[in-house]
Amino acid sequence: MMFQPRVENAVQALGERISHDDILRCIRCGLCSYTCPTYRVENCESMGPRGRLALVRALIEGKLELSPRFAEKFYDCVLCAACTSACPGGTQSDAMMLEARRILYKAGLAPEPIAGLLARLEAQHNISGEDNAGRLMWSSNMERAPGGLGRRQAEMVYFVGCVSSLFPMSFSIPQAFSRTLDLAGVNYALLGEAEWCCGYPAYISGDVELARQAAAHNLEVIRSAGARQVVVTCPSCYHVFTHIYPELLGEGALAGLKVLHATELLADLLEGGALRPAGQAVRVTYHDPCDLGRKSKLFLPPRRVLHAIPGLELVEMASTGENSLCCGGGGNVESSAPSLVESMAARRLAEAQDTGAELIVTACQQCKRTLTSAARKRRVRMRILDVVELVWQALSAEG
Amino acid sequence: MEFCREFVQELEQIVGPAYVHTDPVDLQCYAFDATFEEWRPDVVVRPATTDEVARVLRLCNEARVPVIPRGMGSGLAGGTVPSPNGGLVLSLTRMNRIQEIDEVNMTVTVEAGVITADLQAEVERRGLFYPPDPSSIKHSTIGGNIACNAGGPRCLKYGVTKDYVMGVKAVLADGRVFSAGGKPIKYVTGYDLPALLTGSEGTLAVVTEALLRLTVKPTVARTAAVAFHDLDLASQAVNKVLWAGFVPATLELMDDTTIHTVEEYLHIGLPLDAAAMLIVESDGRDERVVDDEMQGMVEIFRAAGAADVRVAKDEKERDALWRGRRSVSPSLARRRPHKLGEDISLPRSAIPEAIRRIKGVAAKYGLPIAIFGHAGDGNLHPNILFDRRDAEEWARVQQAMAEIFAIALELGGTLTGEHGVGIMKRPFVSQALDPTAVEAMWRIKRALDPHNILNPGKVFPAEVTG
Ligand SMILES: Cc1cc2nc3c(=O)[nH]c(=O)nc-3n(C[C@H](O)[C@H](O)[C@H](O)COP(=O)(O)OP(=O)(O)OC[C@H]3O[C@@H](n4cnc5c(N)ncnc54)[C@H](O)[C@@H]3O)c2cc1C
Ligand code: SF4
Ligand code: SF4
Repeated sequence: MMFQPRVENAVQALGERISHDDILRCIRCGLCSYTCPTYRVENCESMGPRGRLALVRALIEGKLELSPRFAEKFYDCVLCAACTSACPGGTQSDAMMLEARRILYKAGLAPEPIAGLLARLEAQHNISGEDNAGRLMWSSNMERAPGGLGRRQAEMVYFVGCVSSLFPMSFSIPQAFSRTLDLAGVNYALLGEAEWCCGYPAYISGDVELARQAAAHNLEVIRSAGARQVVVTCPSCYHVFTHIYPELLGEGALAGLKVLHATELLADLLEGGALRPAGQAVRVTYHDPCDLGRKSKLFLPPRRVLHAIPGLELVEMASTGENSLCCGGGGNVESSAPSLVESMAARRLAEAQDTGAELIVTACQQCKRTLTSAARKRRVRMRILDVVELVWQALSAEG
Repeated sequence: MEFCREFVQELEQIVGPAYVHTDPVDLQCYAFDATFEEWRPDVVVRPATTDEVARVLRLCNEARVPVIPRGMGSGLAGGTVPSPNGGLVLSLTRMNRIQEIDEVNMTVTVEAGVITADLQAEVERRGLFYPPDPSSIKHSTIGGNIACNAGGPRCLKYGVTKDYVMGVKAVLADGRVFSAGGKPIKYVTGYDLPALLTGSEGTLAVVTEALLRLTVKPTVARTAAVAFHDLDLASQAVNKVLWAGFVPATLELMDDTTIHTVEEYLHIGLPLDAAAMLIVESDGRDERVVDDEMQGMVEIFRAAGAADVRVAKDEKERDALWRGRRSVSPSLARRRPHKLGEDISLPRSAIPEAIRRIKGVAAKYGLPIAIFGHAGDGNLHPNILFDRRDAEEWARVQQAMAEIFAIALELGGTLTGEHGVGIMKRPFVSQALDPTAVEAMWRIKRALDPHNILNPGKVFPAEVTG
């Protein structure tokens, strides 16, 4: 009971940020459960949006106290926002899930793996906890060093993000993208160890202050590189730059800086003729990452990229675009409930298989990782590629 | 109700510890449905098989523990909300397997927890069709649909859930399992127990499996919106269409308050000067036949004095028309914080009079009431819009609701056409039903569930249950 006073403060803070009216907007119809990936795996009310909202409401109404079990329900939510988009009454459910995580964190009730993650972020400014100096490891065994490597000043910064920088399984993404940028003659710089985690993992774990520090630092180093554009391959980095940085640092946070997702840049380069891919006779389906699609509304650019590859056939899955199903890789759930994540990924894989495609293309290293490892475990014979990898494949095939 | 540790342990032995919940966090999530009612159960159990359900019921029957069956909790009558005595919520959502699709006999066998939309999608892949279409198909289960005898817009042509239940597997209060009904379409050997359980709201037995009839999926649909300046004209037009032998798939009605509220929300050009708007749909498998049917109905509507008839030219226009209907609920939600949606059911001829009288109630209590519903079958949804936090207003809402029920009964109708009685309409049941009929129902209930453990406090008025 040591944390009792903190709990009380936290609950009070919740009452200030979420009003009873906001929460009463939910008329408890249950429609959002149908689209919720965690509900559909567990078929359990406490693992769906309506149940989670009921918990927040009970907390505000004084009918329930914070507890580790309470925390579990919110740190098991992948924050995919499918519930928000499904609600006919306009309930901002995912924002409430996030708010609940904040007070849980303040109350010292974040699950153990989340606490560990936050400690790593604080110490090393990345999610892996390795020395941040290793951020360019992905480029070390490339035949030709990426053009952005030595550049201190450039028009554009390629912000690589933690997973692609530090997890060997994802190195192929920055490798492919930097090669493509070089081929197109783009003047860009890499930040190396000056790049910190974008702040999203801290933000969604509840530690807003840590996220704010990351935001301020990253914008400063980007600006001091003289850049006016930032390009990212990671959808979460994209979402946090465009939607959360202004919230953390004020409306003008991005003044003079344009943030692009790799697919926006590639679509323009491909359509403008700066890149000429060889034909790829392949049937693919596209998986919308939640942070890029539903949460940032970039549905079109990745599809424009795919359409620019001659011979490629795109077949959409049953749930796509705004209704796309989360791969399970969101919300840091992986660290606390890996088997839940695998079950969610399996549902997405089943939808992909139904299309008859041989390849799942996504635009996210995390979606790729989540789907790939579930496919391996469940012996699903489908390949998963990030769209930047596919583009490089088509470009290098031409020679 | 405090449970002893041994009771919970026995439950855990039956379904596995992961599926027995006693933490307040879990209990809170099973304390409500889609109404304002809220009461926490003492324990939630989530079985995976009929056998587990049977063993849980046997245990509860011996211990006299109330059991509240639950599907997806989308009920609009408080049927799956525990009573103040608490009890055990029996959630059937893990039992969600589609067991057999028999294409020759056109049937499907499913577990009770299958989500209705999932069942529809699965049979439609094979060109088959499960027609009952409550608006809640994505958030209700087949078990819940059977327990409430759910219906929807398509019911004029296709009927309601009970018209599709050919058989059930169910568990009695004492834990004994029985099957009833089967694949033969004609089946009069003994009482029709599947029909008895349909609409029984979890008070007679727990349905664990259902054998459902399917039809062939219609492939063509045509939709029209028809506006009338006068309610009586609209009602007469509906009768003329039906007398001419047309059986439209849907015949939805929206009154002027509803039209205005939707238009404010969507701006899709609905006729703001109309007293009523009908959305009519014709469907089938032959384009010419469907076109002819729509054409025939349009002619009748025009001759009967329709102010405006708009037939959707393509799928996009058709979708726009339905968008208006589908947006009724959300648009009402934006007008006032809360709404109470009733579902009185009337003889078709009484619709205009009922709407007029309900408008009188709205004026009397100073509450906006939007009325929409199914003109073809007489099921109306008067939705009272209000702010629950205003105690005085809430009191007026309750009075208005009681008057609406009285109107329905005076006009030869009944309290509920789709949602069931649950907790919400219990106080009105005695007015709505013949006392001897209520007694007969209570005897059936006691014969099947002598200790009254299955969903106690629901359906039957307090004066009957004692
Ligand atoms: C937005 C919205 C729109 C709706 N539209 C319609 C509509 O158009 N038409 C319509 O008819 N209804 C409608 N409803 C009401 C509701 O969806 C239906 O009553 C539905 O059938 C309930 O199914 P459920 O699985 O959610 O059941 P629950 O709400 O969980 O339970 C409902 C009742 O059934 C009992 N029950 C559930 N499962 C079983 C079982 N396996 N065995 C025995 N008893 C059981 C429960 O004890 C309870 O009494 C709507 C509800 C909402 C919120
Ligand atoms: S959040 Fe919206 S969709 Fe979900 S239960 Fe509440 S009202 Fe229904
Ligand atoms: S954000 Fe996603 S996982 Fe979380 S409750 Fe909503 S739909 Fe479910």
